[in-house]
Amino acid sequence: MTSDGRALVVVDEPRVNHAAAAAAFNADEPRVDWHDQALWFVREKRDRAAASVPEWEALRDRASAIKEHTLSHLDQYLVQFEARAMANGVHVHWATDAAEHNRIVLEILRAKGATRVVKSKSMLTEECHLNPFLHASGIEVIDTDLGERIVQLRKETPSHIVLPAIHLKKEEVGETFHEHLGTPRGLADPVALTAAARVHLRAHFLAADAALTGVNFAIAETGGFVVCTNEGNADLGAALAPVHIASMGIEKLIPRVADLPVFLRLLARSATGQPVTVYTSHVHGAEPGRDVHVILVDNGRTTQLGREDFWRSLKCIRCGACMNTCPVYRRSGGHSYGATVPGPIGAVLTPGIDLKKYASLPFASTLCGSCTAVCPVKIDLDAQLYKWRQHVGDAGLVAKKKAFAMRAVARMLARPALFRRVGALARITGRRLPARIARTLSGAWGTTRTLPDLPSESFTAWYRRNRPNGAPR
Amino acid sequence: MAHALVDEFVDAAHMAAAHVERHPASGVGAVIERLVAGNDRVISALETSPRGAPYETPQSFDDTDVFICRAVIGVAENGAVWLPLSRLRYRSALFLATQVIVLLDVADLVLDLHAAYDAIAPQRETFGTFVTGPSKTADIEQSLVVGAHGPKALTILLLGAD
Repeated sequence: MTSDGRALVVVDEPRVNHAAAAAAFNADEPRVDWHDQALWFVREKRDRAAASVPEWEALRDRASAIKEHTLSHLDQYLVQFEARAMANGVHVHWATDAAEHNRIVLEILRAKGATRVVKSKSMLTEECHLNPFLHASGIEVIDTDLGERIVQLRKETPSHIVLPAIHLKKEEVGETFHEHLGTPRGLADPVALTAAARVHLRAHFLAADAALTGVNFAIAETGGFVVCTNEGNADLGAALAPVHIASMGIEKLIPRVADLPVFLRLLARSATGQPVTVYTSHVHGAEPGRDVHVILVDNGRTTQLGREDFWRSLKCIRCGACMNTCPVYRRSGGHSYGATVPGPIGAVLTPGIDLKKYASLPFASTLCGSCTAVCPVKIDLDAQLYKWRQHVGDAGLVAKKKAFAMRAVARMLARPALFRRVGALARITGRRLPARIARTLSGAWGTTRTLPDLPSESFTAWYRRNRPNGAPR
Repeated sequence: MAHALVDEFVDAAHMAAAHVERHPASGVGAVIERLVAGNDRVISALETSPRGAPYETPQSFDDTDVFICRAVIGVAENGAVWLPLSRLRYRSALFLATQVIVLLDVADLVLDLHAAYDAIAPQRETFGTFVTGPSKTADIEQSLVVGAHGPKALTILLLGAD
């Protein structure tokens, strides 16, 4: 980023190779198992919470319908929200892209002479790379969500949108706190580490000139917005600092107050298995002598909204349930996606920003559909991942070796006689080849798996032998 | 039905690590005195002027030991209480205090969040929040820690319960 907020033109942006990054993560097998179990634990909590609400499926249907309706009338609801928010005394700003968003934040801070900023969790500001931009402009930004503070001190990015430090062990957090917060070396007790973070961050809350937060839901009919946290960090920031800046993607709108309970009943249950977050805070204006700003950010969302195949991805309420359930995410880690939002929803949203750079992400899926089954707003994630693969293929972005293999297989499958000959050859050579070589020839699938025994005859041959008249028995 | 609502609310509040005490509506003053005994700085939104140092800035509530306020409603399905600014008087105290005590009339319990929003109209005030238990985090290895940045304890005095 340049100092005036424009993104630098990046030449030769490296392409994300999810499979390679996942292979690196997989080098430490016990750690993969631990990561897998940690997320599955959250998935199981989600299952119990969902099962406790008899009308769960009706809520999902309702939430999906409300979001589809809102997205289909987004222009009207955005204008309505702006008018009502302004009537409430809230300053409303519009940002076309990340650079404009960052510039607006800086202008608000400069106008108030603010140099110390506390920020609660906001994936949008991660997406906009706000922190490095503000740092370069001489503004101190402290992430106040515990998980985000941990990764900020380690100069990492969140690996999960709800559980930013899920990839770290408590001993690693202990080391980081020993280095930065002066806790005793070797301290790894989560209670003691959280207590240390509380003291450290309380000082920053009290000294902050401005509070930045995300937005979970914005209500068109009232011009208000809702922020959900468990730690109370968004509220401490906003209640103490004289300026509150709330950044939101334009897809966060819902039409009415009466729609809020539909989403609030789904959000925390889907995210962590809690019935609701500890704090669900509603802002409908500023108290005397204080300022509240809302920045409405597009940054590629209207483009995604215009895509027939992918506009439904904008229904997402960022619960993270698709990540917790995804067999690929659980075993490859959030950082392997190289994107702000990882997991199935990230693999659907991110290729829309830069197809070439993120061409590998739609393949980071078994297409098992577990993500779609748990999504509280019923995004057809597996269908969209499959669709993106067609776009990647059409754009010529499939890896050369894979593209060659796919063309060869397509030719073979289109010619029954050739298919039978290749099959016969494979059955003979496959049984005679040493397992080591056979596994190598079978590609990525075989590197960690024992191949099944090959049958002695083809299905066609078996069928002819057992059904001489050709009729099913 | 009312009884079932109370039980559901108490169970949900306990799940969120809140303490719940049931008391008759009269004589709650003595209950509060007992709960706050031994604490240096008690800020009560129930009184016209808070005890201790006068309200100056939001930051001045940093050393609050106990903050006391009265909820508008409680939600049985999740144990949440609705606290709009008019009931808090001092917004920052709710988040800075080490311990929070919330008074709630049993007649003000509703079944779920749908009923809650029918009752509260959040747009009437600049700020309002549903609070469900004390602040908490599980960001270090999914270990639940009660008392993150905000209150370490939340006590709900459910008044008029049988």
